[in-house]
Amino acid sequence: MIHVQHLSKSFRVHVRQAGWFDAVRSLFKREYRIVEAVKDISFSIQPGEIVGFLGPNGAGKTTTMKMLAGLLHPTSGEITVGGFVPFEQKAEFKKMMSLVMGQKSQLIWDIPPMETFLVNKAIYEIDDRVFRQTLDELVELLELQPLLTKPTRSLSLGQRMRCELAAALLHRPAILFLDEPTIGLDVHTQEKVRRFIAQYNREHQTTILLTSHYMGDVTALCDRVLIINYGTLMYDGDLKVLTETLTPYKLLEIHFPSVPDVSWDDYGELVAVEEGKVTLRVPREQVPEVSSQFLRNFQVYDLNIQDPPMEEVIKRAFQEGAHVS
Amino acid sequence: MFRKYIALIRMKYVEMLAYRLATIVWMTGAMVQPLITMVVWTNIYPSQSNSFILYFITLIFVERMTSAWDVWELDREIREGTFSNYILRPFHPIHWAIAENIVYKVLFLIVLLPIWGVLAVFVPALRPDVSGWQFVLFVTALFLGATLRFMFSYICGLLGFWVTKVTAIYGMFEVVSLFLSGRIAPLSLLPPILKQISMYLPFRYMIGFPIDIVMGTMTRVEIGYGFFGAMAWAIIFISVLRWLWKAGLKKNQAVGG
Repeated sequence: MIHVQHLSKSFRVHVRQAGWFDAVRSLFKREYRIVEAVKDISFSIQPGEIVGFLGPNGAGKTTTMKMLAGLLHPTSGEITVGGFVPFEQKAEFKKMMSLVMGQKSQLIWDIPPMETFLVNKAIYEIDDRVFRQTLDELVELLELQPLLTKPTRSLSLGQRMRCELAAALLHRPAILFLDEPTIGLDVHTQEKVRRFIAQYNREHQTTILLTSHYMGDVTALCDRVLIINYGTLMYDGDLKVLTETLTPYKLLEIHFPSVPDVSWDDYGELVAVEEGKVTLRVPREQVPEVSSQFLRNFQVYDLNIQDPPMEEVIKRAFQEGAHVS
Repeated sequence: MFRKYIALIRMKYVEMLAYRLATIVWMTGAMVQPLITMVVWTNIYPSQSNSFILYFITLIFVERMTSAWDVWELDREIREGTFSNYILRPFHPIHWAIAENIVYKVLFLIVLLPIWGVLAVFVPALRPDVSGWQFVLFVTALFLGATLRFMFSYICGLLGFWVTKVTAIYGMFEVVSLFLSGRIAPLSLLPPILKQISMYLPFRYMIGFPIDIVMGTMTRVEIGYGFFGAMAWAIIFISVLRWLWKAGLKKNQAVGG
């Protein structure tokens, strides 16, 4: 569905120094610097896949997505999305995809979301019957009914984001680019949006590329991730495999009636000792052995085995980038 | 195409109703400058005050019907990155602007025509002696003027892909156009050299040319040349627009996100 080969994008950026004198100087002599936002990236995404696109701020995620959506002209390399070259701006291409940016709104600000929906209906040439059907489905899934007639500017961020998703899906795009769709939302709304995306993908086999800073989004939705940093692709593959190679340990959380006095180093790396609770970092292969030892030799209330948090996996991926790929 | 325009016009109409007060202020505010200029000229030439009244009231009408604000919108949208929303959709962004122009100008027409009608009852100077042909020519010239001014404004707006705060450039052109379009004074009162220059620039065809048709001060040949000039500029603007659009998209940084 999406094929990207040796894709690069560089921007010419005007270098501005802070300060009065330098600001004046820059009026006469402009200095430019070439910033390579994306460097020689290649990947493909199959129909129906949900792929997570991860990387710190400024890594090149959004730039790549904007090129995939046809907003930016690539400096070099090739992209085809659904058989189209995005930058050619074909109407058929635009009708088969959608880009939702958490930081940007396509809804018209001073009038109710329904007005934007009606405009999209005409512009995307959506049939009356299909429009009704799709709208009903989206209204139900996203609980939009009370929001449809309120001016967009008076909606909360979470409400607006739900309407934003609906506006982007009315024409039933086969490909959906989601750029931080849950940014700034509270945990409850994040969860709602996440569940909606998963369900929508299941029911319509929409191909989805998603960027997010919330690991919860990625672990809940994506089996496969692309990790990008400094404009280069550092990892492309299974999320589980990544977790296992980068963090070859699990976290063992043991609850005691009272914490015994033992040499924790014999069992694993001590992370924290709290009131009645000890957290250990234990190599994956030793987890069964260590936990059964605890259950046998100590009085234990409860024992949890957890994967290390995604944040840590990603941090390691960036530190050890070269080894992963 | 027709359905898309209907939907856009409907939406722009709803949006305009959301800005009721701004729309009224904006419409009446634009009348102040021509009215002041009119008072100045009728004081200088009291004997010709009737023709100055007709000239400047027509000017108010023509100025409103051809007014263009697209450069301000584009400048903001490109600088803030919201323009991406239009590029992403399968309908050229210029249609949104055209639909908006239709909505506001129909409103101007609905408000201005009755006002003219009422004024004409009291002010004889506002009952111009216009033949049917003259009227057709006026409407055509007015439409061409509105098209030219719109395209010029949109062209300047598209420069926003290269320059931030492109409205400064537009402001400079507006000052030039104040003189050369006949907004400060009828073109016939300008020094001959300026009048000569104005024939070759687009500004006269945006405002002064339709007014001169109503005033009946032009010969047939002059009117013919006028239409030729307006059409020529329209063709030039269309080509420039097309080229700028293509080049601008390549340059687009789709900021924000």
